[in-house]
Parts: sequence; C-alpha cells; structure tokens
Amino acid sequence: MFAIFALITLLGALSVAFQKNLVIAGLCMVVTFFGVAGLYLMLSNPVAAALQIIVYSGAIVVLVLFVIMLLNAHEEEAAARTHPVQRWGSAAAALVLAAGAVKVVLSSGFASAMRPMDIKGPMDLNRLGIELFRGHLVAFEVVGLLLLAAMIGAVALVKKDL
Amino acid sequence: MTSLTPILQGNLQGYLMVALLLFVIGLFIVLSRRTLLIQFMGVELMLNAANVALLAFARARGNDVQGTVFYLFIIAVAACEAAVGLGLVVGLFRLRQTTDSDRADALKL
Amino acid sequence: MMHKTAWLIPVLPLLGSAFHGLLGRKAGKAAVTVVALGTVLASFALSLLAFFAAKAAPGHRLDLVYGDWMAVGALKVPFGLVFDPLSSVMALVVSGIGALIHLYSVGYMWEEEGYARYFCYLNLFVFFMLTLVLGSSLPLLFVGWEGVGLCSYLLIGYYIETDYAPAAGLKAFLFNRVGDLGMTMGMMALFGAFGTLTVSEILAKAGHLHPETTFGLLTFATLMMFLGATGKSAQIPLYLWLPDAMAGPTPVSALIHAATMVTSGIYLICRLAPVFVLTPTTLTVVAWTGAATALFAATMGLFQRDIKKVLAYSTVSQLGYMFLGLGAAGFAAGFLHVFTHAWFKALLFLGAGSVIHGLHHQQDLFRMGGLKAKMPVTFWTMVIATLCIMGFPGTSGFFSKDEILYLAFLKSPALWAVGLAGAACTAFYMWRLMGLAFWGEARDHHAYDHAHESPWTMTLPLALLAVGALAAGLLGIPKIWGGTFAIEHWLEPAVTFGQVHAGEHAEHGSHALAWGLMGVSTTVALLSGFLGWSIYRKGTASEEAFAERNPLLYKVLANKYYVDEGVEAFILAPTRWIANLAWKLFDVILIDGVGVNLPGAVTRIAGDFTARTQTGRVRNYALGMAFGTVLLLWLFLK
Repeated sequence: MFAIFALITLLGALSVAFQKNLVIAGLCMVVTFFGVAGLYLMLSNPVAAALQIIVYSGAIVVLVLFVIMLLNAHEEEAAARTHPVQRWGSAAAALVLAAGAVKVVLSSGFASAMRPMDIKGPMDLNRLGIELFRGHLVAFEVVGLLLLAAMIGAVALVKKDL
Repeated sequence: MTSLTPILQGNLQGYLMVALLLFVIGLFIVLSRRTLLIQFMGVELMLNAANVALLAFARARGNDVQGTVFYLFIIAVAACEAAVGLGLVVGLFRLRQTTDSDRADALKL
Repeated sequence: MMHKTAWLIPVLPLLGSAFHGLLGRKAGKAAVTVVALGTVLASFALSLLAFFAAKAAPGHRLDLVYGDWMAVGALKVPFGLVFDPLSSVMALVVSGIGALIHLYSVGYMWEEEGYARYFCYLNLFVFFMLTLVLGSSLPLLFVGWEGVGLCSYLLIGYYIETDYAPAAGLKAFLFNRVGDLGMTMGMMALFGAFGTLTVSEILAKAGHLHPETTFGLLTFATLMMFLGATGKSAQIPLYLWLPDAMAGPTPVSALIHAATMVTSGIYLICRLAPVFVLTPTTLTVVAWTGAATALFAATMGLFQRDIKKVLAYSTVSQLGYMFLGLGAAGFAAGFLHVFTHAWFKALLFLGAGSVIHGLHHQQDLFRMGGLKAKMPVTFWTMVIATLCIMGFPGTSGFFSKDEILYLAFLKSPALWAVGLAGAACTAFYMWRLMGLAFWGEARDHHAYDHAHESPWTMTLPLALLAVGALAAGLLGIPKIWGGTFAIEHWLEPAVTFGQVHAGEHAEHGSHALAWGLMGVSTTVALLSGFLGWSIYRKGTASEEAFAERNPLLYKVLANKYYVDEGVEAFILAPTRWIANLAWKLFDVILIDGVGVNLPGAVTRIAGDFTARTQTGRVRNYALGMAFGTVLLLWLFLK
C-alpha cells in the first residue's frame, strides 16, 4: 500500500511538471495531494489525511483553479525567447539534489533503524484537540490573526480602489 | 546497501525518500516553468514534501500529537501564503497582462 | 591700564577692514572714509599712549599677555603684545604714516570704482603690520608677516581689470613665499636651539651664549631668517618683485612698498639682534648682500623712464643700505635709516603720486617737464625729500646714511666703497627725476595744460611728511656734531635685551676719520646730484645721445641687467618644462590613467559582465539558489 501511494504522489507531481495545460496541471495537483493523504493514512494519522484533503485539495487547489479561470490563462504563454541554459540547469540541479538525497537517506543508520509501524494506535482528534488548546493556545490565536492579516493583505493587493 | 524491501513497505527511509523526491520535483517545477501559477503549485509541492517528512519523523519518534499540531500550523501558514501569492499573481496580471514570471523583469539593470 | 586698551591698536583697523568689506559698498564713500581714517587715527593715538607707557615702564618694556595661543608639547606660544623701544617706535611709524597715507588715499582714490575695497585692504594691511610689529612671539610675528604679504598681493593686483597688475601681485606673492620658507625654517631652527619661540625668552637665553665662529645651528637659523628678510625686504636675490609691485595704486607703493612692509625684514633682524650678534658669518653675509643690493639697484634706477620705477629701485637700494648697517652690527643705524627712509620715501612716492594724479595717470618722465610752477606744494616737498635721500647735510637721510657708511668702513673699506658708489648713483638718478619732472620745458603739452595741483587731502600729508622727513634726523645727530645719537641710546634696551656681554664692544675709529668719510660722501653726493640735475633740466636730448654712444651699457642698465629675462629663461622655463613633464607623466598617466581610470574601467567592465546575470527573472535567481544549495550539500557531505 505504501508503494502505491508513493507512486501516485510522485507521478502526480511529475505530470504537474510537464503538463502544458494549466487546468489539467491543477487537477494533477489534486491527485498528488490525494497520494500524500494516503501516505498520512499509512502513518496511521487520519486527522492529517483529512486536513490534507480538506485544505489542500479542497481549498487551495480550488483557489488556484479559480484564479486560472479568472485570468483566462489556460495555456502557458509562448516564451519571449528560449532558455535552454535555465531548463538544463534546473534539471541538473534537481537531479544532483535527488541523487544526494537518496544517498543520504540510504546511508542513514538512524532512519533505517526507526520503524514507524510499531506504534500503539492511530492518531485521534481528541488527543490533538487537548494538545492544541492546552499547550499551544497562544500560537493558535496568533495563527488566527495571521490568517486575518493575510486575508486583508490579499484583498488590499487585488482590489483596485479601496 | 540495505535491501529495498523495507523501504517499499514504508519504513522511515521510504517516507523520507518520497518526501525528498517530492521536494526536488517541486523545485524543478519552480525552476523550469515560467507560468507563475505552475510555479506556485511547485512551491505547494515543496511545502507538502516538508509536511510528509515532518509527520513521518513524528510517527517514528512516537510523539505524533505534537507533529500533527505543528502540521496544523503549517497548513494555516500555507493557506495565508496561497491567498497572498495568488493576490500577487492577479496584481501582476492587472499590471502587465501576463502570468509569465520572465516578463516581470523590472529588476533588470 | 595699557593692558586693557593696547590690544585695540591692531584690532581697530581689523574692525574697520571688516566694515569696509561687509558694508562698505552700501555705506557709501563718506562712511568708509570716516571709518578708515578713524580707526587708523585711533590706533595712532593708542600707540602714542603705549609709547609713553613703555617709556615709563621698568626696562622701557611692556609685556602684555592675553592668554595662550598654542601649547603643544614643549612649544608654548602666548597671545601677547610687546612694547619696547623698538616696537613702539615702529608701531608709531606704521600707524602714523599709515594715517597720513589713508588721508592722502582719500583724495587719490576718490574717483575709483572700488573705493571700499581699497580701504578694506589698506586697513587690513595696517592690522597685519601692527601684529607683525607688536607680536611678542615669532609665530604671531609670522602671522603678521604672512598677512602683510597677502595684503601686498591684494593691493598690487588692485587694478584687476588690467593684465599686468594681477601678474605683478602673483610675482610678489611667489617671491615672498620663497622668503617665507626661509623664515619658517629659521623659526624651527631657533626652536631647536632655544626650545621656545617667544622673543624675550629667546633673547634671554641667547644672552648667555658666546659668538658662534663655526657654521652651527645658530648661523643656520639666522641665515634662514635673513633669507626671509630678503624676500620681504626685496634684497638680492629676491628683489625682483618690488619694481613690478608699482602696478598697485601709488599710495600703496608709498605705504607698503616703501615705508612699512618692506622694512619688516630689517625690523625682524633688529628684533633678534642679540642672536645675530652671536653669528659673525651671518652678519658678513647680511652686510655684503646689503651693499651689493644698494649699488646694483641704484644703477638699475639710472635710466628708468617710469617715475615710480625709479623710486622702486631707489627703495631696493635704500633697503640695501639698511641691511648694510645691520651687517656692520649697527642696529641702531640700520633702524634709524628705516625710520628716516619711511618719512622721505613715503613723501617721494606721494609726491610722485601727486604728479601722476595731476597729469592724469601719466607716469613717463620723458613726457613730463616744467611742473615746478604748476604744482608748487608738490615741488617743494619733493625737493626736501630728494635732499634727504641724497644725504644733504643736516637732513635726516644725511645722518642715517652717513652713520651706516661710517660703520661699514669700520667693518671693511670695500663695503664703504660700494656703498659710496651707490650713494653717488642715488643722488644722480634722484636729481635726474627732479630735473625731468619739474624743470625744463613741457614735453607733452596736452598733459601739461591740464596739469593741476592736487586737493588738500593730498597736499596736507605731503607737508606733514616733509616736516617729518626733516625732523626725523634729530634722533640721530651723531656725537661729532655735538648730538648724542639718541636713537642708539633709545634702542639700547631692545637690541641688547637680556645680553650679558652688552656694551663690551669698544668704539673705535677717530673723529678725524668720521669727519673725513662724511666729507667724502657728501661731496660725492652733491657733485653727482648737481650733475644729474644740470644734464636733465634741459631735457632728454643728452640721454638719447648717451644711449647712442654707449648702446650696450644703456640697454643693459635700462633693461635692469636682463635679470627678469634670465630668471625667465633659466629658472621659470625649466620649471615649467619639468612641471609639464610631471603633469603629463604623473597626473595624466599615473594618477588619471593608472590611478583613477584603470580601476574605473575594471569596475565598469566587471560590472557590465556581472550585470548580464541580473536578468530580473525570478527563475534565474532561484536557480542560483539551487546551485548554492548543491554546493553547500557537497561541502557538508563530501
């Protein structure tokens, strides 16, 4: 099951990378997010999986698609001029980083020793709520303020005249 | 070289591997695509990769409540970022009639 | 009581100068006149008070200290004024003759455009000159020294719309700079020798020393001081600027370039007389330089056609006599000549200015003539001055010049002979001037017909100066005439201040010798003066004939021995060549090229190159970050 969800995630991400049509790319994002949610389930963390689907697939991707529709920019615009250096350079940087990451992870004794499966039980919302409101109440309120500020900021950016 | 089987079954190494590859793909998207919206998606993918690694570590260390709380905050910040970032994209479109980040080159000498 | 008012003596003219400079144009000529005359007259009155206060003071000396100026390590320089017999007399001369010349200038400059500017400079000059005279320390004296140089520069170049006047000012300034360098080095050497720059302390310390027979630090210091004096007082080799300085207005020539500023070199040496006494080598150099200048300049004055040029060379020559006197250790005699010369030379210049003014700026002697009847006051005062300068028995010039020649003979008969030849030339060219200007027929009828006597503001100073010129000699009636040579007695406390060995040098020479020398020099002067007058009172024909018979000699003398041309060819031209080379090599190539433009070009090229990476595109920057990350990872994981 882990391998399937991992494959879904990575393939979805790759298709975003090579998809020309923005709407289809957005839908591929949804696929990727579902794969990530599956991974969270495999970590026996249904709360995170649910949040992932609600916030990312539900809210953010919808917002992105909404903007795509609003701006009527379905296709990528023709480039003013081609930049092979940029394209190959980014591919090379990505490959080197990927290779380095794989090497680091595989050679890490710490990571291979830990076994995420042997855990008492799944994450439950009750414990999360208690932790959140007992230990991190102030941070929670601050995040609320941050969201408010972001909302006001977004409105201020987009609105023509206030 | 360890066997690939525990990785494919989903031990910590497997999760980290997925997270890192997802991050690299996101980075590649940001670097190689010109459309701001796609680049924005790449950024979201990188953020997700970080989340996957975070929750995997939290699970492996046996304290996943803390990790999930942190995840919650990250999602909240990501939502803010999405709102402001998309606002900027719309603002640029208003100004230049484009969503191509290469055309927003006023910083050039 | 003097302490409270003495500082006003120099400061009042400074305030006047500030007034003319800041408000003069708005205030109008009347206000400028009142302020200019008022401040200088007030200075004169206060100087008189100070003079009598100093006379009554113990040791005939008032040291007034107004606080510290500089205190650096061992060097302590106070702000102080000193009134001793020397400086208080000099202050009286500066402010007194200065006041007369201010009065004269009112008439002479009334028509000029820059009336306020002129008096601004003139008052400033009085301020600096009084600072020079009264300053109790060498640095303060040097401030005045530089300041009078500045005012001299400004006033020579007063007619800024002409070409030659600013150039002459610059020339004076540059020659003075050479001298000032010597003055500065002399000050340093004196500080090295005595550890102080306050004059009274230097003299007190010098009083315990014995004469320096070898070439030592003191000889170096005094020689450098003398170099400074040659610059300011126009001696060989730095005399060239003074004749050119006649480009300034005539009252300026009278005040600065005859009566006061040019004598500051002699004043300086008198001030440091006890130190100079210790260095016989320097005294010999001073004496010979003075004698050579006296004769050399006098011969150059023989055939000048410009009335002011004649007087300028005469001034150089008379200054030579003063140095001759100093070199013969006759400080009192040298200073007496400063004093008498201040009167009769100022009178001569003002008389010449009166003639020039009356003839509407005609300065060529060959175009004058017959002015005796037209300008009686000018004529008679000029006659008195001429008698003084030629040394007619009984006049002031007679006493001072004769004393100098007598002392020169005691030092070396050769010096006396040179001085005597100079005196003969002096009498000749002065009577040539008189003959050409006042006797004979008018050679320029247009100018002659419009000639007129000057207004009272100009003739009154002439008359006062004439009285002064006659009376000034009373200070120096020698013993053989039944006098006391009062000036020597009077200056005694100043020139021997702090001296342990004072009064040891015995008088030698006899009365017969004194009478004999006096007779010879008087006869020579009278004869050559009569010769000059009798030739030139008939006109210019004989000079033209002489020029035809001796073309070479005439040309050399009229062209001042071609010294200016020689300086141009052998000093200025190579200097310009080297400067040009240095400019091309160092400025253009090294500094502008390698120093400035090369780094600029490198930066610009490098900037152009790196600017290509600044595309303004987010992706390119992000790629740079990615490469940076790769590099960091490689560094950590290698």
